[in-house]
Amino acid sequence: MGDRRVTILLQSGELDKALSAFIFANGYAALGLDVTMWFMLFGYNCLKKRRGLWSLFRRKTDVARESAYRNLETDNVLQPMVELFNRGGARHLPLSQINLGGVGPALLGVMLRKKGIMGLDELIHSAADLGVKFKMCQICFDAMGISVEDLVVPDVEVSGVAEYARDTLNAQVNLFI
Amino acid sequence: MTSADRVVDVVGKACPMPLVALAKEVRTMQAGQTVRITGNDPIFEASIADFCRERHLAVLDTTREGRAVSMLIRI
Repeated sequence: MGDRRVTILLQSGELDKALSAFIFANGYAALGLDVTMWFMLFGYNCLKKRRGLWSLFRRKTDVARESAYRNLETDNVLQPMVELFNRGGARHLPLSQINLGGVGPALLGVMLRKKGIMGLDELIHSAADLGVKFKMCQICFDAMGISVEDLVVPDVEVSGVAEYARDTLNAQVNLFI
Repeated sequence: MTSADRVVDVVGKACPMPLVALAKEVRTMQAGQTVRITGNDPIFEASIADFCRERHLAVLDTTREGRAVSMLIRI
């Protein structure tokens, strides 16, 4: 792509904030800019495949693949326990305001459809299709015991703050959501 | 209305869908070809004009019919 670059860091796990991040990512990418999205903390909840409760504890660690970006010796039982309350999934995120115990996101979904506005999962796949790059925070992946296999987008890079610094310094725009 | 090589219809779709749909169409096209995009989003015309300015594409023709706007773009 061109020499104009944008970085977007999503650290929030709420539907409204993920929607903002992906609408900007799609807009910039459509205009021909080179977009890199970074995800940390609750930010990658929107990219998680929604798992059943029981499967969290039965999940097998893919040693060969995951040891490339995770320190498997320090894995612990707290990780799947925390993930139990943090399962994520683009269709299961709460709203930061008027969540109403999960009713808010459902109402918003109806409103978006009525107005012809793209939903979050559609925006995620569209961003990937437009060539947006996805990069994940390595310490977040390690601490939470997440694998790239747990995400809906196939091509992700797991990296650290040095690469984030380089990406943002080489970009004209950086959004932090 | 002049005919175009490609047609994109985003009537009923809101921002950023018209931009995304046009970007996906444009990347499969060659220089010199034309695409006609039609939409009725309230900011459709301004959004597509910005798209064309940023990507250095020429808007050859704009026709309005009620809320619907149809724009002919050369790649």
